[in-house]
Amino acid sequence: MCKNCLLVVALLLVISSVFWPNPSAIEAADGVHGDPQARCKNCHSCEKPTHENPCLLKCERPKEVSGIPDSATHGPDVIFLDQLVGLYEPVYFPHKLHADMEKMGEGCAVCHHHNPPGRILACRECHGGPSNPANLGQPGLKGAYHRQCLGCHREWSHKTDCNVCHAKRSEIAGKIAAGTAIANASPGMQDTNFDIMGSLHPNIETPKKYVYKTPEVPDGPIVTFHHKEHTDLFGLKCVDCHRKESCARCHDPQSHPPHVRNDPHQDCEKCHDVADNCALCHVQEETKGFNHETRTGFPLKTFHQQLACAQCHKEGRPFKKLDPACQNCHGEGWIPKDFDHARAGVKLDETHQQADCKDCHTEGLGKPSTCSGCHDDGKAFPGSVPGTVVQPR
Amino acid sequence: MKLNRRGFFQVMAAGTATALASQPAQASDQAQASNPNSIGMLVDTTECIGCRKCEFACDMANNLTGQPVKAFEDMKVYDRERRMSENAFTVVNRYANPEDSNRPIYVKSQCMHCLKPGCTSACLVGALRVGDNGAVVYDAWKCLGCRYCMVACPFQVPMYEYDDPLTPRVRKCEFCHTRLEEGKLPACAEMCPPMALTFGSREELLKLAHKKIESNPDRYIDHVYGEKEVGGTSWLYLASREFEKTGFLKLGEGAVPSLTEPIQHAIFKLGLPPLALYGLLGAMMWTYRNGDEYIDPGESEETDPSA
Amino acid sequence: MHEPARAEPARKEFWTPGVYALIVLAGIAVVIAIYRFVYGLSAVTNLDQEYPWGIWIALDVATGVALAAGGFTTAAALTHIFHRHRYEVLVRPALLTAMLGYTFVALGLTVDLGRYYNMWHPLMPSMWQGNSVLFEVGMCVVIYLNVLYIEFLPIVCERFIGAVHLPGLLARFNQPVDSLLRFLDRTLSRVMFLFIIAGVVLSCMHQSSLGGLLLIAPYKMHPLWYTPILPFLFLLSAIAVGFPMVIFESLLASKSFGRKPEMHVLTPLARLVTLTLGIYMIAKIADLLIRDAYVYLFDGSFESWMFLAEMFFGGFLPMGMLLSDKVRFSPNLLLASTTLVVLGVAFNRINVFLVAYQPPYAQKAYFPSLGEIFFTVGMIAALMLVYRAAVTIFPILPPGHKPSSRVLIKQEG
Repeated sequence: MCKNCLLVVALLLVISSVFWPNPSAIEAADGVHGDPQARCKNCHSCEKPTHENPCLLKCERPKEVSGIPDSATHGPDVIFLDQLVGLYEPVYFPHKLHADMEKMGEGCAVCHHHNPPGRILACRECHGGPSNPANLGQPGLKGAYHRQCLGCHREWSHKTDCNVCHAKRSEIAGKIAAGTAIANASPGMQDTNFDIMGSLHPNIETPKKYVYKTPEVPDGPIVTFHHKEHTDLFGLKCVDCHRKESCARCHDPQSHPPHVRNDPHQDCEKCHDVADNCALCHVQEETKGFNHETRTGFPLKTFHQQLACAQCHKEGRPFKKLDPACQNCHGEGWIPKDFDHARAGVKLDETHQQADCKDCHTEGLGKPSTCSGCHDDGKAFPGSVPGTVVQPR
Repeated sequence: MKLNRRGFFQVMAAGTATALASQPAQASDQAQASNPNSIGMLVDTTECIGCRKCEFACDMANNLTGQPVKAFEDMKVYDRERRMSENAFTVVNRYANPEDSNRPIYVKSQCMHCLKPGCTSACLVGALRVGDNGAVVYDAWKCLGCRYCMVACPFQVPMYEYDDPLTPRVRKCEFCHTRLEEGKLPACAEMCPPMALTFGSREELLKLAHKKIESNPDRYIDHVYGEKEVGGTSWLYLASREFEKTGFLKLGEGAVPSLTEPIQHAIFKLGLPPLALYGLLGAMMWTYRNGDEYIDPGESEETDPSA
Repeated sequence: MHEPARAEPARKEFWTPGVYALIVLAGIAVVIAIYRFVYGLSAVTNLDQEYPWGIWIALDVATGVALAAGGFTTAAALTHIFHRHRYEVLVRPALLTAMLGYTFVALGLTVDLGRYYNMWHPLMPSMWQGNSVLFEVGMCVVIYLNVLYIEFLPIVCERFIGAVHLPGLLARFNQPVDSLLRFLDRTLSRVMFLFIIAGVVLSCMHQSSLGGLLLIAPYKMHPLWYTPILPFLFLLSAIAVGFPMVIFESLLASKSFGRKPEMHVLTPLARLVTLTLGIYMIAKIADLLIRDAYVYLFDGSFESWMFLAEMFFGGFLPMGMLLSDKVRFSPNLLLASTTLVVLGVAFNRINVFLVAYQPPYAQKAYFPSLGEIFFTVGMIAALMLVYRAAVTIFPILPPGHKPSSRVLIKQEG
């Protein structure tokens, strides 16, 4: 039986190898990828491209296939364009700053157009030399640089002066210093709430809240969006919501109308479950904003108030309920024997320093103290202070 | 030279019947216009940033005013529309952009280097001529200074050195033909920072222009200025806004020499109409040889000679 | 050609107050010309990058050619080709006008040309550019000027044969020069008919081509004037102005030299004017109607008024006048009506070359400078001076003081 099977399989193989169309036959018959005009060589550099290794030609191809990331996970921080160093000072190009901005756009491909999947190509790898007589549509390196920069910069700054980029020597020293600062900045610093694209961009004063009227929802005609809360408190970065914006929308609002979202829910639903929960946002009147105590029962006092949400809710958004016990965050041995009570705003006098924490904070640490355990003279906080009031640190 | 029959009929029509010749002659042979060696320049006005560096490059390359680059960084010149002058073969003008008032449209103007130029057809000594590559060049040595080229140019391009009493020249862009011979690009195209000027073969540039329009229909209007205007020009323009609103002229597709050359060809290349007239007059002279007599002033009398 | 004198040098005092005035005007023109040659065109003219041609082209050249040749060509055609010999008396003054007119056209052009010293270039076959309308105009004018000089030679011969009196040492050449003149006279009288026909043909060619000059600028010309038949209209108007010019000259000369106007030929000639002028007017109106350009006639623009004024004062008014017997028989009214036709053609040339010419990027209009105006005036004055001098030297005008007996004329050629 197996002999026959093998024979049949072998026969099939031979027949198929004879009738199996070779690549050029595919091309000649009806083009490739269903496009009668297409030719393999137009896009592929090797003889037999495979799915794993398509060996796509770099630079412009009739059919664009872009497989590059839409956020700058790697890439240089600063690039010096010094091809014309004989004529001009080198141009300082803060790549990282722009790469970060592309999160707001459509990814790296905005600038690195016509890039095949894989390695990201530098401008000069395609746009080499002064200009390409064989491909007049492809500008030379100078044209590529200028078009790429000016394409956006004149959109919003309207500045096309040469010295915006071609700086004098004294100026470039300052820019190099600033660039090094970005490059050396600690990740934590770049994660601060205001930083949208690196420290070179000035901080943006964000609006406190927006109050939207939604008369189409009779049960909740008002939606309050506490913008500042989201950026400051919840630690959202601008780009988390503001995607596919252009610089000009902020920098040139007269001629560029604000972005109108097709579906206003799409930003909220990234964090909030809004599907069947209209009343979460649509309410009868303007809301006051987030209050940790009313929402969770855990009041945020002096210290906790200063923290960003993520510093306690370490697992990130969406924030989940935490065990309110101190040691849950602070660990078992959190309270040291030599706790400097002055940090809490009251420097204890010698008598009270002797007492154990729980002697006074009978209801728990962080809660008001009970004096009646020891005092029968009616002294009580805050009428009487067990020491001197100081500035909490 | 091939006999231009249309031209012959043209002159006959003009000479015999006013009613028949009420239409301007169309370009007789469009095919003649396409020269495969023809060079061109594609100006993408959407890429132009109005930096005036082309003016500076042109000034340097042609030894015009010799002003430093700083003189060309003055953007106040955009407050009024400028035209070329005998000392500036190219100028950039700014036009309002209704879609974005902060981002105006800049248009560079210079000689368009027509495929069938009015100026070369007008010049009676061939001081202006179309080179093998299509560049319209000038030879001051031949020039008479009659300025008919200025009259004939539909784009109002040739400029004249009126201040020069001895050797005034007609001045205009000559496509940097000496630089081209050295293998360099025209000065403006070489200098242009955003490479809004693309130099190449006119045929290729036309293909590129249409490809650009096709792939960016939002960015460009579907019209390549210079493709057909006055029989085609070597300089081609792409724009985001109707050309008439950014300083371009609305011109027909016929080359202007087609309005005069057929008549000239009929007269010079053929010589028939003058000879025919000559013969006709000779015949009349013979026919009427027994005309009336000389009338002495003393014997005036009234007769109707036209009778 | 040795029939008894039907023309003789005018016998009148040359130096009159009018002549002095002409000398002053001509002197101003000379000063302006010198100034232009030293300091350039911009120092004297209002020409600029927008308006390359001014009144020196429109008047000195275009009008000059139309008026000078128009008169002679029509007179020559009438007398020599159609053999209406009664008008013979008008041919020599017209010939002199044409010859001087063309000489002054050349002089005026010299001042207007930027590189006047290259004027000989169109004569070099290596530089011939047959596509150019201006080339044709230039060649025709040059050849025609020579034809005119040749046609004038018999008058020189007539004046000097047997009367060559060279001064001083040159006196020894008296005999050879006299023989040369006699030889020329004999030869020319045999072949003159060739030159006469050539003159008419050349004249027709470049009169029309002069109108063809502006055909190449369709986008700059006002539609009232821009028409494909502009060359034809120029030819018709040159023919139309021919007889009026001859009448105008004759009457003016009669007045100037205190003679009896030659009404016996002028009146029938005036009748012919109604025909030539009528054809021109009909062609012009038909052109307007066929091209649908009449819509611009009454749009109240400057151009429309100029066109209407040209048509009325240069066409309808003199036409109406000449149709009346009273006008044609009255020297003064005839002078007035022919002056209108002459000025009308000048008006037309100004309109075509200056008013209709509207460069698309022009920011202002052209108006001639004082220098341009006075140079043109001075050129006309100088022409009149030379004309006056010529008629006192050469037998141009008919004998004015005593009527000669009736003579039968031999055929020429």
